[in-house]
Amino acid sequence: MTKKMTAVLLLICLALLPVCSLADGTLNVMNYGEYIDEKVIYDFEKEFGVRINYTFNDTPESMYTKLQTGVSYDVVVTSDYMIDRLIKENNVQKMDKSVVTNLDQLSDSVKNLYFDPDNDYSAPYLWQNVVLCYDTTKIDPTKVEEKGWSILLDPELEGHVFLYDSPRDIFMIGLKALGYSMNTESRDELMEAYDWLVKMNQTIHPSFVTDEMIDGMAQGEKWMAMMYSGDATYASMENEKLAVWAPLDGTNIAYDNMFIPANATNPELANQFINYVLDYPNSMLITVETCYTSPNEKVIEDVTGPGGEFEGIESYVPRTGYEKDEIYTDNELLRTETPELLVKVKLQ
Amino acid sequence: MKKSRASRVFSSAYLILILLFIYLPIGYLVLFSFNEGKSMTNFSGFSLKWYESMFQNRTMIESITTTLIVAVIATVVSTVVGTVAAIGLSKAKRIIRSIVMEVNNLPVMNPDIVTAIGLMLLFISVKFQLGMVTLILSHISFCIPYVILTVMPKLRQLDDNVAEAALDLGATPFKALTKVIIPQILPAIISGALIAFSMSLDDFVVSYFNTGAGINTISMYVYSMKRYNLSVNAMSTLIVAAVTLILILVNLIPWIKDKKTKKEEP
Repeated sequence: MTKKMTAVLLLICLALLPVCSLADGTLNVMNYGEYIDEKVIYDFEKEFGVRINYTFNDTPESMYTKLQTGVSYDVVVTSDYMIDRLIKENNVQKMDKSVVTNLDQLSDSVKNLYFDPDNDYSAPYLWQNVVLCYDTTKIDPTKVEEKGWSILLDPELEGHVFLYDSPRDIFMIGLKALGYSMNTESRDELMEAYDWLVKMNQTIHPSFVTDEMIDGMAQGEKWMAMMYSGDATYASMENEKLAVWAPLDGTNIAYDNMFIPANATNPELANQFINYVLDYPNSMLITVETCYTSPNEKVIEDVTGPGGEFEGIESYVPRTGYEKDEIYTDNELLRTETPELLVKVKLQ
Repeated sequence: MKKSRASRVFSSAYLILILLFIYLPIGYLVLFSFNEGKSMTNFSGFSLKWYESMFQNRTMIESITTTLIVAVIATVVSTVVGTVAAIGLSKAKRIIRSIVMEVNNLPVMNPDIVTAIGLMLLFISVKFQLGMVTLILSHISFCIPYVILTVMPKLRQLDDNVAEAALDLGATPFKALTKVIIPQILPAIISGALIAFSMSLDDFVVSYFNTGAGINTISMYVYSMKRYNLSVNAMSTLIVAAVTLILILVNLIPWIKDKKTKKEEP
């Protein structure tokens, strides 16, 4: 009996070994789940003879909490406004630009963003914008293009719309439809947007969902959805009837960037990893796997060009250089107020 | 009194409805693990490709391994600790026993998130690096109360005289424990262990806050997916199959043993 027990315990210890081994050559990476082609990880491990510990996260907010616990990560991927906050709080260290040379390969649209004007602290990973994705057999494209976000006030759409259940994104619609900035600091503008959204909710009774909408649109369950362009790309590859439109009222462009936290244990390797991910073949693997847009200029050109993976998919390249499009900033008013207001919108 | 036909029909319909309610989602999930397409709602043909992609997905396999290792260690440790604690408590003074049982109920009633944050803050404040060890410790800590709760009632039913008789007949206290008390409460220990195992397997919140870099459990993996894919269904199907098999074995083995002993002594 005791012999058996010892054997079992030994086995458990053996099984634990590979999980526990924290040798020098390890890199702790934190990213959203299913947001990479794992081949990139394996190839990097082989090429540099190291091991990558991969951790998942679901939102920038939970990523922030994780960083606060003092666990040391070497490379973290998260959203623009959260990096803004982390840089301001001195939680990010500068990249070594003599190592991260592949910044040269990037498209101009993804470089030098407001929170990191010279890309000293972060490098783009994937990016996208928020669009209206709709069924062209049900809704006339000219109507969508003419009305923009205000098409969501059209009673004809009642019961046929998906909205992405995220407070900031929903309020972006209201604010943009009224011609305000989606990063507004004015409570009056926010309340006006709230009234607009209440009216919208009473008119079209949208379904507030998250990732279910991707499958839903691909199967033609609803006529229209407000979607992140990467998801719209995925859906329109499954369903030819779908078209996308970025309303002229302006929309949100979202960037997910990589950065090295201040308490990283292996910054040299972290720089190497960032550089590796930016490189053409790897960025290609990641974009093809996830359908989100690559920051690499040549990759964008090749996947949308003839024979490319996303040829003819209009949502793949987000609109840039349009003055009414914005990027989220870390805004306290919106961060604290919108979740509660959205609950009220849904109740009306 | 004979039941009327209508009431019989009603009770079986009710039973079927309840069973459907419980098993339909599982059946749906299993069905779509064999889907050829990517869709969760539209079945386009049979294929095993999601199983293939599951086994090729290293992070997923690692998450499954971590989950199982943590669950097994947490179950073993919490069952031993919990059982010993319950036996000790059953011999303690009444007032002490009722106080400890109340304290024991607290973590069970407490929302997971409180336990999770509490443990995390404790680990951070004593400068304990979050990782595999803290993950296992936190699982042990929330599993123990369940074991005590399941073992305790069984101990109350025991006849104290049996253990005393064993001592009178020359058994050492340890022998009396392992040969007399434990065999009598074994069913309760096993069900306590099973509850601990499933609690540990299920847990998301406590794991999420008490794990370190590169150590993910399966619930964390699924929860953080940017876009759902059907290999999660494939994995769940395998787990359902494993659990079904275990349950069948647990029920069959005593039955077979029974038959054997009956044959031997006709």
